[in-house]
Amino acid sequence: MNVTRRDLLKTSAAALGATLGSALSAAPAVVHLPKGKADACIFLWLGGGAAHIDTFDAKMRGDGKLKAGSYYDSIGTAIPGARVCEHLKHSAPLMDRCVLVRSVTHTIKGEHAAAANLLHTGRTPSGTLQYPSIGSIISHELGTKSDDVPAYVVMGYPNITRDPGFLGAKHGYIYLTQIETGPNGLVRPPDVDNAREDRRETLLSKMREGFVKRNPADEAVQSQAEVSRQGFKLASPKFLNVFDLQRESSTLRESYGGEFGQRCLLARRLVQSGVRFVEVSFNLNFLNGSGWDTHNDGQVKQHLLIQDLDKAFATLLQDLEKNKLLDTTLVVIATEFGRPAEFDSGGGRGHQSEAFSMVLAGGGLRMGQAVGVTDEIGAKILERPVSVPDFHATIHCALGIDPGNIMHAGDRPVPVTDHGKPLLELFS
Amino acid sequence: MNARYCSAVLGVALLAAQDKPDAKAVAVELFEKVPAGSEYRLEALNPVAVYSEPAFAFVHTPTKFAPNAIPLDRSAPFVLRAAYKRKLPSGEYQFRLRARGAAVFQMDGKDLLNTKVQKPNTSGDDPVPPPVDHSDPLVRPLQYPHQDSVATVKVDGAEHSFTLVAIIGGKGLYPSPGDLSVSFARPGQVDRLLGPDGAPTLTDPDWESYVAASDQRHRQDDLIRRRQASVDVVAAWNARHEKIRASLKATAGQAVPVVQPGTPAYNDIDRFIGQKLEKTKTAPSALSTDLEFLRRVSLDLTGLIPTPAEITAYLAEPAKARRAKAVDRLLENPSWADHWVAYWQDVLAENPGILKPDLNNTGPFRWWLHQSFTDKVPFDRMAAELIDMEGSQTLGGPAGFSQATLNDAPYAAKADIIAQAFLGQKMQCARCHDAPFHPFKQKDLFSLSAMLAGKPVTLPSTSTVPVVEGGRRPMVTIALRAGDSIAPEWPFKTLVQHSETAELPGKASVQSRRDVAAYVISPENERFAQVAVNRIWKRYMGLGLVEPADDWTRGKASHPELLAYLAREFMMSGYDIKALARMIIASHAYQRKPVGNGSDQMSAEARIFSGPVRRNMTAEQLVDSLHLAAGKAFECEDMNLNPAGDRPAKQFLNLGKPSRGWQMTALSNERDRPALALPIAQSIVDVMSTFGWRQSRQNPATTRDDAPSPIQTLILANGVLGTRMVRLSDDSAYTELAMRSIPAEELVKETFLKVMSRPPSAEESSTFVSLLKPYYQTRKVKGAETLITKRQSDNRVSWSNHLSAEATLIRMEEERKLRMGDQPTKRLTTEFRERYEDALWAMINSPEFVMVP
Repeated sequence: MNVTRRDLLKTSAAALGATLGSALSAAPAVVHLPKGKADACIFLWLGGGAAHIDTFDAKMRGDGKLKAGSYYDSIGTAIPGARVCEHLKHSAPLMDRCVLVRSVTHTIKGEHAAAANLLHTGRTPSGTLQYPSIGSIISHELGTKSDDVPAYVVMGYPNITRDPGFLGAKHGYIYLTQIETGPNGLVRPPDVDNAREDRRETLLSKMREGFVKRNPADEAVQSQAEVSRQGFKLASPKFLNVFDLQRESSTLRESYGGEFGQRCLLARRLVQSGVRFVEVSFNLNFLNGSGWDTHNDGQVKQHLLIQDLDKAFATLLQDLEKNKLLDTTLVVIATEFGRPAEFDSGGGRGHQSEAFSMVLAGGGLRMGQAVGVTDEIGAKILERPVSVPDFHATIHCALGIDPGNIMHAGDRPVPVTDHGKPLLELFS
Repeated sequence: MNARYCSAVLGVALLAAQDKPDAKAVAVELFEKVPAGSEYRLEALNPVAVYSEPAFAFVHTPTKFAPNAIPLDRSAPFVLRAAYKRKLPSGEYQFRLRARGAAVFQMDGKDLLNTKVQKPNTSGDDPVPPPVDHSDPLVRPLQYPHQDSVATVKVDGAEHSFTLVAIIGGKGLYPSPGDLSVSFARPGQVDRLLGPDGAPTLTDPDWESYVAASDQRHRQDDLIRRRQASVDVVAAWNARHEKIRASLKATAGQAVPVVQPGTPAYNDIDRFIGQKLEKTKTAPSALSTDLEFLRRVSLDLTGLIPTPAEITAYLAEPAKARRAKAVDRLLENPSWADHWVAYWQDVLAENPGILKPDLNNTGPFRWWLHQSFTDKVPFDRMAAELIDMEGSQTLGGPAGFSQATLNDAPYAAKADIIAQAFLGQKMQCARCHDAPFHPFKQKDLFSLSAMLAGKPVTLPSTSTVPVVEGGRRPMVTIALRAGDSIAPEWPFKTLVQHSETAELPGKASVQSRRDVAAYVISPENERFAQVAVNRIWKRYMGLGLVEPADDWTRGKASHPELLAYLAREFMMSGYDIKALARMIIASHAYQRKPVGNGSDQMSAEARIFSGPVRRNMTAEQLVDSLHLAAGKAFECEDMNLNPAGDRPAKQFLNLGKPSRGWQMTALSNERDRPALALPIAQSIVDVMSTFGWRQSRQNPATTRDDAPSPIQTLILANGVLGTRMVRLSDDSAYTELAMRSIPAEELVKETFLKVMSRPPSAEESSTFVSLLKPYYQTRKVKGAETLITKRQSDNRVSWSNHLSAEATLIRMEEERKLRMGDQPTKRLTTEFRERYEDALWAMINSPEFVMVP
């Protein structure tokens, strides 16, 4: 019998899973795990740390100097009693499709990269393993919907927090940094037209098939050749057309707004084509000089970011709804931490991880609620603290994934979340 | 030996330079720990380094080395003084001092020019300076954030003395001189660096070649100085090895089996392997062809495919001698070190972060790894020096290994790495509980961790398995509780029981680390040499004699006698990796055609080594070979997000301009900001990550996850790097090849040699010749200019201004331009160029290209 190393690992892992499974069943059932019916997730990432009190957890107004508080007036929403920033005027009436989670909390506030890593992996690094991002976990748990569509796409820069970690390169992502350039590696170079592409493929196939013919009995050669043939299938015109936003009406494109909005439109098209997890980064820091990391005078033009987010988010929800995708697509607005109500000496805000807001929308969850309550300046959580693992567990449950599922790093069992418990009130 | 560094001569050399006019070089001295405020009063101080430069331009300073040759930090700041005497024809001159920080330039003892102190910066939203103007033919534009100080003087034709004193680095600053220079010019004429007649001008092209030469010179000088510095340590290790050899000779070695006449045997290795082949009645695979062997052995010893010149020379040798001669040549190639560094970066989890280290970052001890392989440091000494963890943390010393940012138990992480790298004891499971499948207790890991820490360690709550009341019982045994204190103690008594710490050459500041080193490399500890030879065997044969190579409690040796034989040979050689490599490569087993499927490495066929196990190129071999064949330099941005140097090295490492794959690093754009993007580096990292390179090495790894995948095909076929590699620009070696006056058949053949290391088959030749032939006669465009291909990276963006809109737009524009690829040559017609590019594309994308023959 030929037993490969990978087989060996798989076998011992499976054996371990079995023991662990029985250990689980022997223990008293603590919670009944809900299972949502969403099959895709759009993860809107507000890198830098969006100020919750200036967005989704509006408080008394401050003055930008000594008096702590929100920087803007607040408006009512479709959730009774819940108020948000005045610049979220398109999204506010749609809040009945959303859950405002206002009591997310963790302890990393100094470093953006470390907090961003926590929000993407749901764990703090240990040095014994590199943990996978939530996109890679979902790719691992749900797989691709079809052979010619990847499971995981990122619109932003490739970095460690988005990586597949121990799940390996097959659960990595395809990325693009600008709508204009298209997905890296899938789009052929700008100077290669159809004629050249045909010529290239003809030459390559002669090289490839000659090699195969010269090594008829060599299995490795056969499988390397097969990988080469397969690769080009992923770059099928059908999938590449998804990236062509010109196929949408100009009215729709305009209603999505600027670069971030266009990315959201692309996210909808990707989900529609079968992608499981799309991360859309809002990294347009040139709008106000600092992006969501509004220290000092980054605060002054923060409303431009909020307005961009508002327009794109509201259009995305309506567009998904119109395409009957909202019930099966969970939209998440996530950020690495919030910001305090006090202003720094330059009129901006520092970092605050003790209490901040994130948003869930669609995904077939019980929407139209605000979860958690913070004090009058949004500094402390008064009700219902939600940890990052809890937040992740909620996303996984919405997608029908048991947050206690075991993944394997070699033979080490690693649960999907670090003891995360879903927000049960969202599952009816 | 380089006389410039013989210190007895050197003190005199400087005086001579000051006394004697028109010396061939500028005398330079470095001073450390100069009291603040008296940086310009150096008379009473002794320099710590004395050397010379060809002219008044100081972009590199000599590295400081400890007695065991590991790199050290200089004081922050340190001071550079340069002096020169010469005559200038009478007339008016403009002198220019260019510096990033504080410097004073004197003529005949009087201050003539000075620049201001560079201030540490904590801002991210400074304005971007205006674009630099490269159009002035007389002087190279000032690079942000350097300063110019200029003054005009009249000279009378007499001799003058010139002195420069510059303060380098300092609190909150990066410890490098930047583009420090002094130049002079007659009115309306080009600026020339001060120094002997014929010194380079201060223009872009001259400056770039000066910097490149300076880089080379300093690297070479560093090598000579660290060898001088470590003479005693080297002698002590040699004496130790002599003793080990003597005691081994007194014992019987492993008996070498006798094989049948029909079983191929080039050396003893083949007899061990052959015995098992005979027993299992397995036929060995056929001997590789000479050209297959050359490509394989070049990749294995240098990480690069052979060049056409190497192939021609190889084939010109007598058939019987050519393989051995090629191995001799390749073993002396400096790329030997490059290829090994990549491996140990993985095994030792080298993980530098160029932006405010976190997420388990270490220092960049890659540089120490590289110099150790360059200097042929014996493997036991390397292990001991790593475990000592001394030297510079940010400039590449083994101290960088001690770092594990954001890790709640850094020394536990290091204990695990050391145990699996050198002893095959994989302890990661013991981090949080007693290991369920290994004979390790959590206490073992933490007592080793305490030895590395030099004191008892406390178990952090995050390194435990939480037991929830009423919840499920954990299936692992938890013997330790958070807060428990664990004392230093050697945990592997079954491997080795005593350590003769006092006999270890050299000194270290943490005694219990020395103890760890002494246990690990003790000649009584058979495991150390065996794990090392198994790793080296696996590297060349594709599969270890013991698998997993980093986890020996789970594996059994396929050839225990061969393992023991190789371990003894390795110890006899003085733990010399090169000697072992030579022995393995000389075997028939290595020189056979590969067997097995890459994804089925544990097949019976492979475990008995009927041939070496099939491998694909590593990510580093791939990108390095692509660049080599295309004749293109990496040309990527510096691995540095703070080129302004106005922040400390601890926060912003500068890993320099990469020229090989292993020098790349995680681009650390967790902030996701376009202004922090390094587009060219990204295009290289994209390919490397797809082919199994880990940009973040948070944990050690011996085997990469690099199975062939469709994305690999795509990223090479369509990505920016692949596009650049086949583009016939004016810096492409393929363009030069196409410009040669040779028949089309010859061009095709040469191209195949360059890319595939073999001539084309008859069928391939006819395919490619008929593709090119119709456009071949007319391919050259008469009178077309040769374009300047150097990518002018906009040097104005640094951490201090990266939040500004302009910085973002600059980087996005660079990204967009890069997507267009390198500028095509105008010397070849478009019809021909595109066809030849397509031919090259087909070759580098063929499955054969990435497979090691």
